Amino acid sequence: MRHYFPILLCLVACLLPGVAAAADLHPPAQVTAGSDFSIASDANGEGTFYLVGPANVSKRKVMVNGSIAVDGEEIEGAGRYTAILCVSGHCDSAAFFVQPDAPSRLSLLVHPSRVRVNAPNAISAAAFVFDKYRNMILAPQNVQFSATPREGNATTTTRSAENGVAWIRLTSASKEGPAKIGATIGKATEVRVVQQVASEACNLRIKANWISRQLWVETDPIRDCSGNAVPDGTVISFTKLDDSGKTTVDAPVKRGIARVQMPVQGNARISVASGVVTGNEIQMAGER
Amino acid sequence: MNRILAGGILVATLLLIGLAWLQSGGVERRRMEAAETPDQAVKLMLTDVQAHRWAAAHDRLANSADIDLNAYIHDLGGTNGSLRTYATLEGFEVWGLHTAGDEATMRAKLHYSTAVGPLDDVRDIKVQRTSKAWKVVWPTNSAPKLAPQVIPVNYLRWDIINRGSSDDWGVQNVDAPQVRIISMNAIQRPDRVVVLGEVVNEDTVPAYVNVGAVLLDKNDREIAQEISFDKISHTLLPKQVSPYRIDFPNIKLEQLKSVRMEPKAMLVPASADPVIAVDSQQIETDALGKKVLRGRLINQSGQIVNIPHVLASYYDSNGKVIWVSDGYVDQELLPQIPVSFAVDVPNDVAANIHSYHVVVNYYNNNS
Amino acid sequence: MTGLGRRTLLVVAVLVTMGYQIHAQHGGPSLPSVQLNVDDLGPRSIEDLTSKSVPRDYALAWQTMARALAENRVDLLNGYFTGLAKEKLTQRIEAQRKAGIHVIYTDRGHKLTGLFYSPAGDAMQLRDNAQLEIQTLDGNTLLQKEQVGLQYMVIMTPGADRWLVRDLQTTQKH
Repeated sequence: MRHYFPILLCLVACLLPGVAAAADLHPPAQVTAGSDFSIASDANGEGTFYLVGPANVSKRKVMVNGSIAVDGEEIEGAGRYTAILCVSGHCDSAAFFVQPDAPSRLSLLVHPSRVRVNAPNAISAAAFVFDKYRNMILAPQNVQFSATPREGNATTTTRSAENGVAWIRLTSASKEGPAKIGATIGKATEVRVVQQVASEACNLRIKANWISRQLWVETDPIRDCSGNAVPDGTVISFTKLDDSGKTTVDAPVKRGIARVQMPVQGNARISVASGVVTGNEIQMAGER
Repeated sequence: MNRILAGGILVATLLLIGLAWLQSGGVERRRMEAAETPDQAVKLMLTDVQAHRWAAAHDRLANSADIDLNAYIHDLGGTNGSLRTYATLEGFEVWGLHTAGDEATMRAKLHYSTAVGPLDDVRDIKVQRTSKAWKVVWPTNSAPKLAPQVIPVNYLRWDIINRGSSDDWGVQNVDAPQVRIISMNAIQRPDRVVVLGEVVNEDTVPAYVNVGAVLLDKNDREIAQEISFDKISHTLLPKQVSPYRIDFPNIKLEQLKSVRMEPKAMLVPASADPVIAVDSQQIETDALGKKVLRGRLINQSGQIVNIPHVLASYYDSNGKVIWVSDGYVDQELLPQIPVSFAVDVPNDVAANIHSYHVVVNYYNNNS
Repeated sequence: MTGLGRRTLLVVAVLVTMGYQIHAQHGGPSLPSVQLNVDDLGPRSIEDLTSKSVPRDYALAWQTMARALAENRVDLLNGYFTGLAKEKLTQRIEAQRKAGIHVIYTDRGHKLTGLFYSPAGDAMQLRDNAQLEIQTLDGNTLLQKEQVGLQYMVIMTPGADRWLVRDLQTTQKH
């Protein structure tokens, strides 16, 4: 046994800094982010105080006299902190948790930014609750969601945030236009806008007219099945088959209709489509 | 000694000048300066065109007095930022179609190299024997011009304001457009597998679209991945449909178990103009005996389209997309002036074509 | 045991112990093990690819964070951190550098539990039970060393080609 003594001595000497010292620091059980507090200590005299937290680390010389004052600015980030006090080459440490402050901010995720009308559960809103220092608040909180159409009153729903998150799903309205989706907690309110847009063209129809010896083909005002006008810029494909072959024109809707000029040789068949939606077909004789 | 050295240098210099002259085709030029055959007349003119000696080429025309030099340059060298203006005449082949007395018709196939790949232009050229030599008769039909006028355009475009990089998390951004692949077909070609089909922009905003495909083997391992590159109309307006084609050289269809399609779309600013009509579409056999889809492009708007790009999808009797072909047009599209195009169709595919759909993509210098 | 044998054993013991400490202080941290449990994840179902990339990217985030805190290098945070997590860690590293402190994490593994996956797939909240050894050093002086089991609340959001840690907050175990 005597032979192994030097080895054990060496191991102890090498690992000594790692051995936990008796805790001489006594932080309070509950600390709120951003608030001043003090850590009680049994030590006396001049020492070095370290505070290691999630977003801040500080080191300062202190004269320990029963307690060490900590400024609220040093603990704005919620989470686990380690306080270390070194006096006369001997260091003691203690860990404590800083809790978030009251709810005062929301991060609101709303999707999509555009949605077709009458789409069930197509809009989702998720609110993440934070305090003023942007610490996530995990304690249950009520978040009020609201949806406000362009014309009409807002509808509201309250959801409890679990682990700091509250969320809802909404069905888009039958009328196109922007809808404001909001979330509120305390004085904090966040609003996002979802554009509700017309669905696929419904009952797509064309007609043809001779104007100044030119054949003009145009659609009726293009609307979806709820009566919403499809947005300008939507491409309408016109196809004509006649003696000269096939003619195709992709024309955008402007002011609610799409219109093209098409020369005709002999008898012609003209059809229309928008995306995967097809419309009517008309027969035309050549120039009169 | 000094005299010998000076003499040697002089001889070497003359030798080098002579070699350079031979290298630049001097003998051939000298021999063809006065073309003795119709073939020589065309080659001589095209040699000058290739070297951008426009005036010399113009002087060789039998009807040079009737042809404006600038119009001649524009015809061969392109104008208005068209693809031809970025092209270099790499070479040409000339052969006779028929000769009758002092007149002959030659066919010239001009090979251009361009930023989008090689481009061929086949022209039938009339040649005439004058008192001195054979000379090219250049067509006098000048490029059509549009009468000065105002073309009203209800200007429609989409601009985008994205969220700033410093914005908080959760600050809403505008979503990427919704696009959907509406058809996909993987086919075997002699030297490659080709994945083709059509994609639609289902959204109410313009989309910059790219379609990617990943080939998977029987163990679901990736064999290859590729994107549609320029075989697609990238900018799709709301509800617009584009064909796409993705080529996988040196791969056999029997190696594949499945294909994973990856359509990608980005929100981009775009304009609803110009509208380009595709007129007189016909599948024909060209002068070289190949099947081509021909037609005319008519720019219905008031602005010039610099580089038009034609994409066509072909369907069988069941409405299935069986081929996608494309071609760049080396001429610009002036407002209202029809410009012809032709895109190749493989002969074996042509036999099964029941219908087809043509879309026109374009690249503008100022866009 | 002979005198030579004893001396050899002594040298080996010293070398092994010193080597362990040197490795712990200066060696690059290895990729920690991360197990993901998605049994209670909702409302969106996790995609197959996401269920692989989240634990992989979280492990890579911890690996780079451990190195960043040990070497006081803010640049290492760019790969796997964004938003609040990146801001807070950047502040901490800058403060560590100013105070001449560095912290060495020896990672013993993470058990991740998926709590919330947003309907649009743009955010995931997870709880992490991590086993760590933490050493706090002022220069080369070891101030404190502890073996701890910590609980973290994590928010991850998708980036261009990976999932990024957006918030990382230690929470008290109840």
